[in-house]
Amino acid sequence: MEPFIKVTGVSHVYPNGVTAIQDVNLEIGEGEIVAVLGSNGSGKTTLVKHFNGLLKPTTGQVTVGNMNTKKERIAKLSSLVGYVFQNPNHQTFLPTVRQELYYGCKNLKISEEETEKRVKKAIELFELENLLDANPFDLNSSKRKEIGMASIMAISPKVVVLDEPTTGQDHKGCKRVLELVKMFHEHGHIVVLVTHDMQLIGELNCRVVIMNKSRKIADDRADVVFKNQELLKTADLQPPQVMELANQLTYLNRNESYLTIDSIVKWFKHNKKGLEEERKIGTGS
Amino acid sequence: MNSLYIARESMIHRLDPRTKILFVLFIVISSFLFKDPAMQLILLIGMFPLVLLSKLVKQYLMSMQFLMLFVVLIMTIHGIYNPIGETPVFEIFGGLTFKYESLVYASVMSFRILVIGTAAVIFVMTTHPSDLAIALMKWKVPHSIAFMFLSTFQIIPIIAREAKIVMEAQQARCLDVKANIFERVKHLVPLFAPLFIITFVKVHQLSYVLECRAFSRNGVKTSLRETKISSLDYMFISGMLVLLLTELYLSFAQQISLTTSNLLVSSLFAVWAVFFIVIVKFVYKKVSVFIGG
Repeated sequence: MEPFIKVTGVSHVYPNGVTAIQDVNLEIGEGEIVAVLGSNGSGKTTLVKHFNGLLKPTTGQVTVGNMNTKKERIAKLSSLVGYVFQNPNHQTFLPTVRQELYYGCKNLKISEEETEKRVKKAIELFELENLLDANPFDLNSSKRKEIGMASIMAISPKVVVLDEPTTGQDHKGCKRVLELVKMFHEHGHIVVLVTHDMQLIGELNCRVVIMNKSRKIADDRADVVFKNQELLKTADLQPPQVMELANQLTYLNRNESYLTIDSIVKWFKHNKKGLEEERKIGTGS
Repeated sequence: MNSLYIARESMIHRLDPRTKILFVLFIVISSFLFKDPAMQLILLIGMFPLVLLSKLVKQYLMSMQFLMLFVVLIMTIHGIYNPIGETPVFEIFGGLTFKYESLVYASVMSFRILVIGTAAVIFVMTTHPSDLAIALMKWKVPHSIAFMFLSTFQIIPIIAREAKIVMEAQQARCLDVKANIFERVKHLVPLFAPLFIITFVKVHQLSYVLECRAFSRNGVKTSLRETKISSLDYMFISGMLVLLLTELYLSFAQQISLTTSNLLVSSLFAVWAVFFIVIVKFVYKKVSVFIGG
């Protein structure tokens, strides 16, 4: 099957002459969760901004659902690829949450029935029934971020790009993001994450694309990537703490990957005996 | 970049900001002294060496492009329709006649825009905002007011950057910014509302940050940067004084008039030509992006 997003040999040079990404090839298919990782300035955001045409490739080609992004308007592409900005203040501005939700569909000029349907789905997904008449600016920052996401999801795009969804969020907010990402996935959306939150990636154990110095240097599952110490060192990334712990505890099963606390706890529960032996060796030597 | 200032190693950059403020004032006064288009042109051409000296020719021409739009409109519309005109100079399209008096009026006005614009551009592009604030404080302007001045200069590029992000963010919500003109006017609300909110939030934050760094403390404030009046400044100022006196003499005692209808017509054509080049360049840029050059 044709991948939904296809990036072929894309480079992007900003007007000031800075090459932000160079010769990137990437295919994203239906139902995938893809996390784009990399240090600041490695070209993550530039890459994902190509998905809804906010940036057009300097060379190469990006197709989204068989449309060449260079030839389509951003407004049209945005109905396929929803982009949630890092700062919700850039996106939300209306006095009530309800208006925010309807806003995207109004821009799309789709029928009223369809609008109602989409907005209703977003309300259910985000459990916003009680907040519909609230002013987004009166809500706390994690809730406001959620409103930002909901306003994009109300358009019901095929792909949703989340730019740093957990930055500045408390524990509850981060957990909520994880929940939401899983929910988007279940509803058949393709999710693209740009993030520094390794724990989130660990929990998701999704596909990971690593950018380094404007080039794509890795594209694999999170557990595989996080085991590759050399790669992580080049990209200046730190795996989730659990993973690092697992890497240091040499007696753990090498073929397994321990991306979450649960997985490592499970190992300990199953291998109490082995653990005791380890302790004996430790004290004996 | 955090202001319109462009750093270069040049004589003009080294001048004290106060000298440059005086220079802008001098240009404004000289421009209003003369009601003769030829003199305005001389002023304009006379300032070009300063642009050359400041090594900012390209940036200067870029910023003048925008003013050319006004100049073309004023010259053309006033030249034809201003009722003070009596003597016909030449005709286009069979019915539209450019008249001498209206052309004089129009070219004085539009050259004045260019003259003052040039002086302002030289000033802004060669003066570091902090230097300007310091210079103002040396003129006994209260610190807070000088700072207000400074932060206004600095917030413009910040707002411009935020505006770009907001534009992208709204496009991500299916706002078609490339729709027809009526639609676009409606779209000003979703573009400006977030921008205003963000700007207010930023300014608010700035005030906290300033207080955290003891901004409102009383007493003498020192600065990292120093500005000094040097011999170059004295030379510059005395040069301006001499020129100003000459100009006063010329405009009151002599009542000179160098303007001829030939000059007017050729400057009108020159303006049209420059504007045409600007348009062609603009269109070429748009088209080349569209084709995918």
